Formats: sequence, C-alpha cells, structure tokens
Amino acid sequence: MEQKKRSLQAITARVLFIAAIMCIWEYVAKSGMMGRNSALIFPSLEAIGFAFIKNFTSGFAGASLWIYIGNSMKLLFEGLLIGIVLAFVLSGLSMMSSIFYDICNLVISVCDLLPGVALLPVVIIIFGVKPGVIVFLVVHAVLWPMARNVLDGFLAIPNIYIEAGMNMGLKGASLLFGVYLPAATSYIVSGLKVGWARAWRGLISAEMIFGVASCPGIGLFINQMRTNMNNAEMYATLIVIIIIGLLVQYGVLSTIEKCTVKKWGISK
Amino acid sequence: MIEKENCILEIRNMSKVFDADTETEKDVLKNVNLTVSKNEFLCVLGPSGCGKTTLLRCIAGFENYDGSVLINGAERRRPGIDRVMVFQDFNQLFPWKTVEKNIQYPLKINGIHNKEELNNRTREVLAKVKLSGHEKFYPYQLSGGMKQRVAIAKALALKPEIILMDEPFAALDAMTRNELQSELLRISTQEKCTFIFITHNIQEAIVLGTRIIVLAQHGKIIIDEENKITRPVTPASKGYGEMWERMHEALYQ
Repeated sequence: MEQKKRSLQAITARVLFIAAIMCIWEYVAKSGMMGRNSALIFPSLEAIGFAFIKNFTSGFAGASLWIYIGNSMKLLFEGLLIGIVLAFVLSGLSMMSSIFYDICNLVISVCDLLPGVALLPVVIIIFGVKPGVIVFLVVHAVLWPMARNVLDGFLAIPNIYIEAGMNMGLKGASLLFGVYLPAATSYIVSGLKVGWARAWRGLISAEMIFGVASCPGIGLFINQMRTNMNNAEMYATLIVIIIIGLLVQYGVLSTIEKCTVKKWGISK
Repeated sequence: MIEKENCILEIRNMSKVFDADTETEKDVLKNVNLTVSKNEFLCVLGPSGCGKTTLLRCIAGFENYDGSVLINGAERRRPGIDRVMVFQDFNQLFPWKTVEKNIQYPLKINGIHNKEELNNRTREVLAKVKLSGHEKFYPYQLSGGMKQRVAIAKALALKPEIILMDEPFAALDAMTRNELQSELLRISTQEKCTFIFITHNIQEAIVLGTRIIVLAQHGKIIIDEENKITRPVTPASKGYGEMWERMHEALYQ
C-alpha cells in the first residue's frame, strides 16, 4: 500500500513537471519574447507536434524518419553485438592469463579515455566514408566500459563460488561459463547500461559529423533539418532520440535486470 | 591399524607451508599421517590455527602440498566429485539458481542428463534434509540453516565417497545447530558415505563422530579415539563427561 502510494506520487510529480515545462515553452513561443527569431528558437508545441508526424509521414528527401531510424539501429546493433562479444572475450582471456590481464588493463584504461569522435578523422583516413566507420565507433564506445565492468565483476566474485564450482568438477571454460559469468551479472548489466548510453551518443555524434549517404541515420537527419532551418523538425527528432533511448533503458535493460539480478535477490 | 580394503582415505606425510621463504613463513601442517576407513564419521577438533581447515582443503584439492592423498589407493591432487566439500559460508549455493537447479547442476556437469533421474535424486535428497517442497526457492529466500541443508543435500546427490565438512554449522544459532546435528547424525547412519567433519565444538564432535581426533599446532594428532558412547549421544550418556574432559584438556593445554 505504502509502495503504491509512493509510485503514484512519483508519477504525479513527473507528469506535473513535464506539463509545467510545456506550459512555459508554449508561453515563450506564443508571446514572441525572444524577438525576431522567436519562431526558430522556440517553435510552438503545435508546430513541433505537426513536425513530429511529418517526420514519419513525408520525412526528408523522400525517405521517412523510419528509414533513418532503421539504418541507425542496424549499425548500432551491429556495433553493440561486436563490442559486447569482444568485451567478454577480452575479459575472459584476462582471467586465464595474467600477462594478458596486465596488457588488457592498460589498453582498457587508455582507450576508455579516447572519445570516439576524436578518433573519427583517423578512422576515416583508414576506412574511408563507409557505414563500417560508424560501426567501428559504436564498438569503440561500448567495448571499453563493458570490458572494464566485466573484468571488475570477475575480480569481485567471492572465492566461495569459485571453490564451490571447482568442487563440482568445473574448470577452465566451464568454470568461466558456469560460475564467472552468472556471478558477475550485476556488473555485466551495469556495463551494458554504460555501454549502451555511450554507443547511442557516439552513434548520433558520428552521424552528425559525417553522414553516410548509403546508410543515412538519425544523426544525419537531424543535421539536414539544421541545414534547412527546419527547427520544429529538429526538436521533433530530438524527442524521437529521447524516446528510443528510454525504450531501450526501460524496455530492454530493466527487463534484463528484472529477469536476473532482481529475481536472484542480488540487487534491489 | 585399519585393514587395507576398508581404508578409503590415506594421507601420507602431508606438509603445507604458507608464504614459503618469506618472513611470514608458516608451517601449517608438518608430516601429517592419517587413515580413514569406509563409512566412518571422523570429527576433527582443534584450536584455531592448528591447520584443521588447511588439512580439509588439501584433501579437497584446493591447495598445493607436499605428501600425498590417496582415495581408495589412488592419488588425488585436484578437486573431484569423489570428495565433496560443504563449506561454513552460507553463500556456497549459487544465488542465480533455484534450490532444485543448485542440486541438479553438479549432476549435469558430471554427465547425468536424464530428467527423470535428476528429479528423482533432487526429491530424494531434499526429503533427507527435510526441505521437500522448496525446489523452486532461490537461495536468498532461505534462512541460513536452510541454505546449509541444501548444501548438504547437494553434496549427497553427487553420491561422493567422502563428504568434507568445514564447520558447516558454526554460524548457526544454537537451536538450529542442534536440529541440524541430529539430522546429520540420522543421514550419516543411513548413507553409505564417509564424513570428515571439522568443528571447534566438543559437544558436536561427540554427538556426531564415530571417531574423534584432536589436532595441536602443525596438525599434530594428539588424540585419536573411537567414540564408543551409545547413540544418540546426550550430555547424560554414560562416558560423555569423561570424554568431554579429555578433549577439553587436550584442546586447552
């Protein structure tokens, strides 16, 4: 009962907050207080809403926003998949060899500090302007924080689980899959959260800096809106970016949490 | 001297040094020799730091050591399911598996995949530890005593030659501890299995053990005797007081 009341309170507070922001926005937009460019800086809510629908119906250059979203998602998931698999391979190997661990630790620390966008010029020189570049940047964004988390998770496993595993005849790879991976799940999930957030931002930035014509994505779309001064459409696309981010956060990542660490009583 | 065919475990000249060649070098075990016969319930008593746990961990294969451990005459160096360990730590069950899966997982690893057989064994061992109906619980939903019961059930399901127990009841409250002692006693008389049970508690050793050894520093065996007191043992049993005195004196000398 107490909990229900609390969650109702949270929802009410959030809805009221958003409504208040929207009212202020609309007031600023309608009053024209920003001067000559008011309509550009603060397009009215109707204009944004209309642009939101228009993005999906007519879109830009004959392609609806769906196509751009589809392209972005395709590159994103390709990158995420490669990054996550590589993160597991790196941290798994690190647990098996101490020399590999030392080197891996160094590489993670160094690469984690490098913003993907800063690598962009180098990557373009090497690969040229191809969708592969964006995949590369997504891999770069997700791999290092993910590997760091998985590795930390492996190191934090209580000895008792490992000994219990050895006791029942697990060793080498079977110990890795049977004990290390499940025991590090809470670390893996938080690695996924960080990795996903970084990958999503990295993807949009890369697409904004250079759009790949053969595979145009959301970042390119928003950039084209900027070039054409379609400001209402620009805001509408920002909302789409936020919605996709939230969908993955709550739809995918929270579900993973609910089915693992929360179910096992490891995390509240 | 135990006859050869009745001997299940033989420890020959076992020595173990921690932090060798450093300032903190410590001889935990020095030349320990011990034989254990089939279906014996061996209780190992000893003061803290005498090497009880190290002895058990060497038998289980978790430590490197000098000397040899023979199970049915064959040398063992690494962990194996002929010697299953029940730890003191309540967290020895995997939190990501239900009670049922915790019991079945080691069986699956060791080649039992028949669903019916797995379920039968699970049901059987859970009944032995009086936890029938708790198959679908996750470890966090169980109390400490229940977790230790599951750990014992998990060990029994593997049908090992020897079950090694490192003070499994030490962190339990006195009532639960007594309850689990009498259940372990019942299980040990029904099972064809050898137990090596480490404890600090003299009462526990006398109630459970068919043979009791007391270790001093470096794993030196200072008492090694059969427990001839008629079971079930209570403090009122004939001979209990004298035995308790002897053990107590040896422990606190």
